Amino acid sequence: MRRALAISALLAACAVVAHAAVPTDCWALRKHGHGPEAQACFDSLTRSDDAYFRAEGFWGLQEWEQANEQFRLAADPKDSKALYKVRWGMLLHERFNDADAEGLFKEALEKDLSNAEAYVGLAAVSMDGFDGHAEEYAAKAIALDPKLAEAHELMADIALTNDDRDAAAAEADKAIALESDALDAMAIHAAMELIGDRSPDAWFAKIAAINPSYGEGYELAARQLELHYLYEEAVTYYRKAIEANPRLWSAHSELGVDLMRLGKEDEPYQELELAYNNGYRDAATVNSLRLLDSYKNYETFRDSETILKLDKSEAALLLPYMQPELHRIIAAYSKKYQMTLPGPVQVEVYPNHEDFAVRTTGMPGLGALGVTFGEVVAMDSPSARKPGDFNWGATLWHEMSHVFILTATNHRVPRWFTEGLAVHEEGERSPEWRNRVTPEVLAAIRDKKLLPVEKLDRGFVYPQYPSQVIVSYFEAGSICDYIQEKWGAGKLLDMVHSYAHLTTTPQAIEQNLGLKPEQFDQQYMAWINGKYGTEAANFDAWREKLKALVAADAQKSYGTVAQAGPAALAMYPQYVDDANVYELIADADRAQGDKTGEMAILTAYEHEGGQAPDVLKRLAALEQDAGQSGEAVATLERINYIYPVKNDELHRRLGDLLYAGKQYDAAIREYNALVASNPVDKAGAEFDLAQAYYAAGQKDKAQDSVLAALETAPDYRPAQKLLLELQGPSAKPN
Amino acid sequence: MRRALLAVLVLAMATQARAVTYFVIVAGLGGEPDYVQRFTADANELSRVYTAEGPAAHVTTLTGAQSTAAQLRAALEETAREIKADDDFVLVLIGHGSYDGVEYKFNLVGPDLTAGEIAEMCNHIASKRQLIVVTTSASGGAAPALERPGRAVIAATKSGTEKNATVFARYWVEAFQDPSADTDKSGSVSAMEAFTYATTKTAAFYDSQKRLATEHAVFNDTGSGDPVREAGNGEGLFLSTFTLLRTGASQEAMNDPAKRELLKQKDDLEEKIDMLKYQKPAMDPDDYKKQLTTALVSLAKVQEELEK
Repeated sequence: MRRALAISALLAACAVVAHAAVPTDCWALRKHGHGPEAQACFDSLTRSDDAYFRAEGFWGLQEWEQANEQFRLAADPKDSKALYKVRWGMLLHERFNDADAEGLFKEALEKDLSNAEAYVGLAAVSMDGFDGHAEEYAAKAIALDPKLAEAHELMADIALTNDDRDAAAAEADKAIALESDALDAMAIHAAMELIGDRSPDAWFAKIAAINPSYGEGYELAARQLELHYLYEEAVTYYRKAIEANPRLWSAHSELGVDLMRLGKEDEPYQELELAYNNGYRDAATVNSLRLLDSYKNYETFRDSETILKLDKSEAALLLPYMQPELHRIIAAYSKKYQMTLPGPVQVEVYPNHEDFAVRTTGMPGLGALGVTFGEVVAMDSPSARKPGDFNWGATLWHEMSHVFILTATNHRVPRWFTEGLAVHEEGERSPEWRNRVTPEVLAAIRDKKLLPVEKLDRGFVYPQYPSQVIVSYFEAGSICDYIQEKWGAGKLLDMVHSYAHLTTTPQAIEQNLGLKPEQFDQQYMAWINGKYGTEAANFDAWREKLKALVAADAQKSYGTVAQAGPAALAMYPQYVDDANVYELIADADRAQGDKTGEMAILTAYEHEGGQAPDVLKRLAALEQDAGQSGEAVATLERINYIYPVKNDELHRRLGDLLYAGKQYDAAIREYNALVASNPVDKAGAEFDLAQAYYAAGQKDKAQDSVLAALETAPDYRPAQKLLLELQGPSAKPN
Repeated sequence: MRRALLAVLVLAMATQARAVTYFVIVAGLGGEPDYVQRFTADANELSRVYTAEGPAAHVTTLTGAQSTAAQLRAALEETAREIKADDDFVLVLIGHGSYDGVEYKFNLVGPDLTAGEIAEMCNHIASKRQLIVVTTSASGGAAPALERPGRAVIAATKSGTEKNATVFARYWVEAFQDPSADTDKSGSVSAMEAFTYATTKTAAFYDSQKRLATEHAVFNDTGSGDPVREAGNGEGLFLSTFTLLRTGASQEAMNDPAKRELLKQKDDLEEKIDMLKYQKPAMDPDDYKKQLTTALVSLAKVQEELEK
């Protein structure tokens, strides 16, 4: 939240008032650290005859309700100044009501189209929401009033968020040139020094010389550190912000959220509660406190390398899958990146997506599936998503790649590269998890919307069109695919090392690949066009064919589907989402009694990365019917990475297949999952597990499970027989 | 099935060996073709499953154009004429329902029937054990009018205000086709087991779709009071003894005088196991396990003897 917005130019027109003090004077006193004088100044404003002055006075005294009321009075007359709405909007922005603030800025612009401050307000709101218009609004403000230092400060902040450090420095310098007390511009410079591993002291000293209690400067730097993955360092600077101004409640809240990101619980709670109790009740504070309260519903599992935090309701089910996978990942990446993590990795798994979103950003509505904060990973549980929407295995490999790359580079890695490498690693783990070209990506390739590598970070942070984040993930991942394909995997590792040595993306590209970024872009674009250009060019034609196939399927014209399907499939084989051609052809094959064809097309769907559990179960049934038990097992095991929860039928079928194939340990895993799924048939599940334990020679566990089965259903004959067998002196499985 | 009621249960089962269950299944007005198809399929499938019980089941099914108030009335009147007090009566209503805040109506071809009218017709049926399963939208609104001692009522929705089309019927039917619904492995599916199965599967359906559940099934089997969502405090006992489908041969042993002593031992052991389970929270875990194992081994041996 940006505070202390300089309003000197803004308020020049209001200098003539009945009292000696005007709002600019009061805010200037506060900005310069003259607290008691500022307080007195604001106090005098509250006694003004002018509602607007009273509003500013109450605002300065942090009497929000009264300030709001006075702004309402001031802005009510039809001929009231646009300024009043702008300032009112800024008050609401500061008090967590961005929706109404945005409305007021727009109303101000209706009164005065050339009001630069209104655009500053809109930019501030957009920055908070990461909605992609922030830069555009800030640029508009600068165009309308090039001498508005605050607009340049905002622009610098936006540029640094996009990791465009040259632009950030230039904009900050402009602000300082316009106003020698542009404290936020100085804080941006300090942040850049920190991100570049240099001392920020000179800049913070300049800030302290103007206002030693300007905690907002440290806070701004800390926020930028977080945006550059430097979570530990951010904690340090939030603490400095609080030290400078212990009543800076926003910093208390942000410190709490940052500490949560680092996997802490007690101190975040104290900081967030302190902020909340002092009236700082933005959504992030409230949501984070609520989430911390819910942690009592989680269970933590530790071993030497991992800390898994799982919701109690699904811990027994997920732990046997996630913990071993985590160990496999750590082993694979340790070997690949030739490094050992300094400590255990904490992975938190949220069955409620909005809890995960709050855990990540303090706010609901996040589109991501997982997020990494250094050695802490937060991610959705498969139960948080619709079956088929999410592959937790791929997400875990993705996030763990971040853990290694952030550690390897000491958190000095641009967003595009760590995301790209993580996407690339998913495909390395399994071709079925590889970077898939979705319709949004095809459209972006067709419309030439891919960003130059040097500017790719901005596609993640401030997207300029709705699907740009998805497109940017694809682009970053495919850039890493391209580097590996053309120069070899070693070059990706070399780039990791380059970033660890604080090189910029242009330098990293040039040093390791021997190309200027522009040359790299040209070659990459040619490669991507060669790979997907035809699909992109034919996208509209493919869509028309798909529509016709869907219509034919609805009319049960299976002959038409079988005939026209393969051509549509060939135009865009990577499409495996809703209404995909694979399923349409499979339906046609089934209707025509062609089980072999149905199995073949569904196998193609599976290998292309199709993830709908029901479709994969259908394939597994066909494979089983065809006597291909091994393939059926492999197909069902894929579903374990997609939707192992609330899926007792999956675990029963897979357990039965594994048991029949004498793979008893794996069968035990599946039957345990079945029991943990709390199925309707609890006795049956326990009995299956008992049999598997018995077959594996684990007699004691078999006895426990068969007792559990009979405790539920004492007359259960097969379980009774097994119990008697187990009671025998030398019980051995048949 | 709850063992605490064992004595009553054994008597009831012995009686049931000679008794018949009268099923009346109605697929109401579907409106849209998809619903017509779905309701008809559910009703026919249910009819097929119950009919497979043989002479112990008397099944009347109304679908499509037959699903009028007059036909339903006629079917219930015929049932009333034939049924004996010891026979069981089951009415299953599949389709759409409506609720205006006061009265529930089951949507039929032509005039609808209110819950009150349906209750009145069922009141003329002499059976002392009745079950009415209303699987429609808004069916919770029907429960108060249908409740009566000796009659259990199951509704797919908790109130008349849950008005979206339901999926409960699909899983009610499935409960009689999926062996896992027989959770106590008794060789039969009780109304309580079918209810538990259907509600679990219904909840899983909405969960898997990431949709807010718009139906929450309830039941009342005490004849008065608000319907509940799960067994406890006296609710659920009657439904647990209400067998809807027999899948095993347990019945035969019950009727063999030569095995009555073994059956007595079996009953005693089952009662002991129930008592142990009841006392479990207050027992030392090792002691509980030991005693449970002993009782279960004895029960298994008795069962082995019974099967000889």
